[in-house]
Amino acid sequence: MRERREWLLFALLIGPNLFLFGVFTYWPLLYNFYLSFVSWNFLRPRKRFVWFENYLDVFSQPQFWTIVWNTVIFALFSVGLTLLIGLALALLLNQPLRYRNGARAVLFSPVIMSGAVVAVVWSYIFDPRYGLIDQLLGLIGLNSPNWLGDPAWAMPAVIMVYVWKNLGYAVVIYLAGLQGIPRELYDAARVDGAGPWDRFWHVTLPGLSPVAFFLSVTSILATFQAFDIIKVLTNGGPVIATTTLIFHLYDLGFVSYNAGEAGVIAIVLFAIMLILTIIQLRYLEQRVAYS
Amino acid sequence: MDQLKLTRRQMLRMMLAGGSVAALAACGTAPAATTTPTDEPAAPAAATGAPAQVSQTGSTVTITYWGSFSGNLGEAEQAMVQRFNESQNDIVVDYQFQGSYEETAQKYTAGLQANTIPDLILLSDVWWFGFYVAGAISELDGLAQQAGLDFSDYEPVLLNEGNRQGKQFWIPFARSTPLFYYNKDLWAEAGLPDRAPETWAEFGEWAPQLIQREGNTLRRSAFVHPDGASYIAWLFQGVTWQHGGKYSNDDFTMTMTDPNTIRAAQFYQDTVRDLGWATLGQDINRDFLGGAAAAMMASTGSLAGLTTNATFPVGVGFLPKEANFGCCTGGAGLAIPNGIPDEKKLAAMTYLAFATNPEQAGIWARNTGYMPVRISTKQTPDMVAFFEENPNFKTAVDQLPLTRAQDAARVFVRNGDQIIGKGLERIIVNGEVPSTVFADIDAELTKAAQPILEDLREVEG
Repeated sequence: MRERREWLLFALLIGPNLFLFGVFTYWPLLYNFYLSFVSWNFLRPRKRFVWFENYLDVFSQPQFWTIVWNTVIFALFSVGLTLLIGLALALLLNQPLRYRNGARAVLFSPVIMSGAVVAVVWSYIFDPRYGLIDQLLGLIGLNSPNWLGDPAWAMPAVIMVYVWKNLGYAVVIYLAGLQGIPRELYDAARVDGAGPWDRFWHVTLPGLSPVAFFLSVTSILATFQAFDIIKVLTNGGPVIATTTLIFHLYDLGFVSYNAGEAGVIAIVLFAIMLILTIIQLRYLEQRVAYS
Repeated sequence: MDQLKLTRRQMLRMMLAGGSVAALAACGTAPAATTTPTDEPAAPAAATGAPAQVSQTGSTVTITYWGSFSGNLGEAEQAMVQRFNESQNDIVVDYQFQGSYEETAQKYTAGLQANTIPDLILLSDVWWFGFYVAGAISELDGLAQQAGLDFSDYEPVLLNEGNRQGKQFWIPFARSTPLFYYNKDLWAEAGLPDRAPETWAEFGEWAPQLIQREGNTLRRSAFVHPDGASYIAWLFQGVTWQHGGKYSNDDFTMTMTDPNTIRAAQFYQDTVRDLGWATLGQDINRDFLGGAAAAMMASTGSLAGLTTNATFPVGVGFLPKEANFGCCTGGAGLAIPNGIPDEKKLAAMTYLAFATNPEQAGIWARNTGYMPVRISTKQTPDMVAFFEENPNFKTAVDQLPLTRAQDAARVFVRNGDQIIGKGLERIIVNGEVPSTVFADIDAELTKAAQPILEDLREVEG
């Protein structure tokens, strides 16, 4: 009897959430899987089942592999730079400096700004003829590259903006991690004659590893879903220089109205993220020193 | 420990701030996403053309109108809706801005799936046809008759574009053509005659006097092309014709590999790369107004906005010629969705008739720069006086008889505009060989045309 009541309570408690997940997460996931096997333009009443034609079409387009490469470059540099610069800034802001709190607030403020707003402002900063960067480079006698118009510079520009916007978040998480490292460890290290470098290498860094792990997982997942900045700053261009998988998905789905091929990209993204998450959990977590 | 507490509190405060910003943003978008366009139960599925129901008689009918105009165009549109609402008591038009032409079409596509559709919709030249073959927009002849609207006074070039097999589906409203815009101050500075160039060859001679270089950077270009997203394929349409080429034939066979079409693409590439007097910009109006480009081709619909915002006198002229003259029409028209109650359709047609009557068409044209869609508008005293005061507007209207409808590849093939636009970006920005790129584009367009052709056979036999 009691067991049944517990079951009832269990169903009552998880029911609403499960329902929402079902409707807004699992059903779209399954439906997308189905869509990747049909030819459909969102308007025709019939969806024609085409087996793996969409998959073959997507994978045989030469641009698809450029886009995959773009996605990898974007994720690698965005996450790498955010983690490295974030760590450096967090170490700096962990020192008893004047105006430290103000600096922290300034650093964090881009995180809460809308991505679209950030992108619009930066599109002016990047302008090669009257942008701020051009003005600054002009002081030292250099000309600005055509950031957003040159395929070679557009991706670095997007990465710069993305890192700038998300840096504050990494810094705040790192700071929290830094303050969670017990002082005793530093004292003990000092007693053992460890210099600043040794203390950083043997105490700070291992102490930060759970935080860095958390940041790397969340940041990579976030970069694969980064859309707003790219949409507003470059619209995936010039040509396809800043088109990532998620942007390609939008392009195929809501510009070309090709539900099937967009569905394929969604599956590809899903698979990549699943694999990355498994790898990170399996291998990276083993090396993380949880206190 | 003290430090830790402080940081946590700060962090919480920041997260709270971030959260409330996100929540506000969500509030902002929610109404747009869930708007129910009618004050009645959701209309039946549009594409299936379910029987219409009359649920209200003898009272005010409210209709929802989805449009794409913002800025000064949006104000002009709102003003027209207001004039209509104040002019009578039977119909209330609720104008709802949906974003760009593309976003409006996206929302309509989504709305069809969700059964929340408007009663009147603005569709651009490249979008109405897709909804026509999907059976999502109504035939308008019967409704026009009921509303007492006669099509004979509409500009035939513009009206015929929305006609399939003798039936009207799309009525011209904000119709445009490309114009050649130039900065008169820079023209004078370079000692050029105060007119648009007659030919591209002539402009090629002028261009070196207009550009301004600093090292390797082009500080000021003589001309600016838009990117694919800003419809370079629309402006390039006329240029292909000028070179004797075209995008496609009427039967949807593609002609992107026609030597003349490729010659036109080579010319575009040269303007930016070999000759180096043109650039490809993300926002050509911004470049033109800011003096970063001395000239451009752009829609007549930008004329009023550019004239008001420019700090220099703006000159306009016909497009330059090459082998011959070539200029296409463009812009947007109005359509009435299928699957809404008859009384709503009729109310929408009543507004449509108002918005395109000779007087209103004149007001709209004067406020924006779009073509007057009615023949008789040009003879109204207001319009005659306006042309005298603003000869630039007259230029746009004078060019209209020389224009023709665009090739099927851009306007009838779904996403054809963007496919061609991306191809041009590859040629101009990446410097790829035009014949190679256009062979790819030809194949891509041919593939994209297949479903449309299938549907078309079903719809038109």
